[in-house]
Amino acid sequence: MSPRTAFVVRRIALTIPTLLAMSVFVFALIRLVPGDPVRSMLGFRATPENVALVRHDLHLDQGLVSQYVAWITGALQGDLGRDYVSGVPVSTLVGQRLPVTLELVLLAMGLALVVGVPLGVAAARGSRIAGRLAGGFVVAGVAIPDFWLGTLLILLFAATLQWLPPAGWAPLGDGLGQNLRYIALPALALAVGEAAYILRTTRGAMLETLGQPYVAFLRAKGVPERSIVFRHALRNAAVPIVTVVGIQFGVLLSGAIVIESIFGLPGLGRLVVTAINQRNYTVVQGAVLAIATLFIAVTLVTDLLYGWLDPRVGAEGS
Amino acid sequence: MSAQVTAESTGVVLPPRRRSQLSRLERTLGGRGGLVGAGILLVLVLVAVLAPLLAPHSPEQIDAARVLAAPDLSHPFGSDALGRDVLSRVLYAFRTSLAISIGSVALAMLAGVPLGLIAGYRGGWVDAVLMRPLDMLLALPALLLAVSLVSILGPGSFVVLVAIAVIYLPILARVLRSSVLVVRERPYVLGARARGVGPLGIMVRHVLPNAVGPVLVQATVLMGFALQVEAALSFLGLGAQPPTPSLGLMLLDGYQVLQQAWWVDVFPGLAIALTVVAFLLIGDGLRRRYDPAGVAE
Repeated sequence: MSPRTAFVVRRIALTIPTLLAMSVFVFALIRLVPGDPVRSMLGFRATPENVALVRHDLHLDQGLVSQYVAWITGALQGDLGRDYVSGVPVSTLVGQRLPVTLELVLLAMGLALVVGVPLGVAAARGSRIAGRLAGGFVVAGVAIPDFWLGTLLILLFAATLQWLPPAGWAPLGDGLGQNLRYIALPALALAVGEAAYILRTTRGAMLETLGQPYVAFLRAKGVPERSIVFRHALRNAAVPIVTVVGIQFGVLLSGAIVIESIFGLPGLGRLVVTAINQRNYTVVQGAVLAIATLFIAVTLVTDLLYGWLDPRVGAEGS
Repeated sequence: MSAQVTAESTGVVLPPRRRSQLSRLERTLGGRGGLVGAGILLVLVLVAVLAPLLAPHSPEQIDAARVLAAPDLSHPFGSDALGRDVLSRVLYAFRTSLAISIGSVALAMLAGVPLGLIAGYRGGWVDAVLMRPLDMLLALPALLLAVSLVSILGPGSFVVLVAIAVIYLPILARVLRSSVLVVRERPYVLGARARGVGPLGIMVRHVLPNAVGPVLVQATVLMGFALQVEAALSFLGLGAQPPTPSLGLMLLDGYQVLQQAWWVDVFPGLAIALTVVAFLLIGDGLRRRYDPAGVAE
């Protein structure tokens, strides 16, 4: 096995304990609720038969270990239990809402990269004033809570200018135009803070790579500045940027929980929040499991990408 | 302190400067940004502490004649959907929110500092046993973790404080652990060990004071972000519950009347943003001074 393959295999193997621990946490969610989760889920008017039925359904009448085994076996086969409010299987709900969250988060990340990377490069190469301006944007972008920014965007683009709807959703199936009208503002609200992080990281990484001896060599050789910046320096600066993108996916998924609630997007985040308010624990579990798995998967992909961008990662065997 | 030595040996050339009290303070805070941040924070803390004296009106007083009234001289931030004075409400809410954010980071430090110190100093299996479970917490998006904890414990300000502490605990422990890994190899630590100082004495008296800088930097920044998390949870109805004033709840009120009265939404949001800016500026300044290697990043 080449060191490269070994790195990939090891990295994939490392996610197994993480997934396992996460699944135990999600499993424990219902069981840690003080009092009787089934009673608080069904309300006090539930008949004893119904309570017993649901308890049996959730395997709560068995020992903890067999409860977990039953639950995880089901989850691995795509059975996340039933939503006791609507009667729909939780996996169906998760399946409907996952694409919305995924689209929101990916679009926000894309926007943030498109804005953050060029501005970061410009700030690294530009004058003192450009650096100051970039610094100001970074502080403001990070300090403004994304969901408050969301309300300001509604205020400007929906209430005042009336260019875009304040809330609601049209799936991609209704046409890209309709879909974009609804997702533009939430994605923008999430992207601004993200762009600030990416700008800061890009700027730092570019300042570092542009100070390297090989850049001085390229300049002395007469390589055009454009080519130095984009072909050589940016490629080397890509490693920290990719790392930040991976970490920040968690931040975006966090942000999506609130943003989806504000803009009425039918995503996983809003599913979690409504389910918690309804004490609909099976749905909370399913949605938390889905978001957490998504995050772990993204972390894995960025780590692998990191190894691909920086050949030393595999070669050193670190 | 060794942190000072490293700061100066990194080749940072400080311009010659008058040694006034203010410039000495500026140096401690790592430059002008830090000084500005500290100034803003000082004012904000004073405002929070003195809220009952500063508030022009009662934050709870409902006034049917002033429902969604625009800002004017006696109510500079306007009135909300119940005619309550937004400025007075911001002052009181800021007090609660700031207390929760500082409290949560303090709680995270209380648990994270011993864990990171012991894990970093002892290394080996102790390190693995202490840090692995903490790393698992980082495998969930922060707000999702907080939301899950609230779903178990039920909503409320104290639960939010604990939830934020749980989010930040692994971050702070990890930062301290990595700076302890460096410090424990320093000659003075080896010297203390050779003199027969016990592990507890070495950790507390020699390692901790020299390794704590990056943690303090990180904690400062996290206090700002805690304010955002608290607001987000309260906004979702999972944090502070209605009679308790909270910036997040105010943002929820503002969101509901967004189309009619911008001021109900804008001022509490500005309060959060300004506070985060203050913490960020202080954190950046402190980083320059106490964490030049960027361990806290």
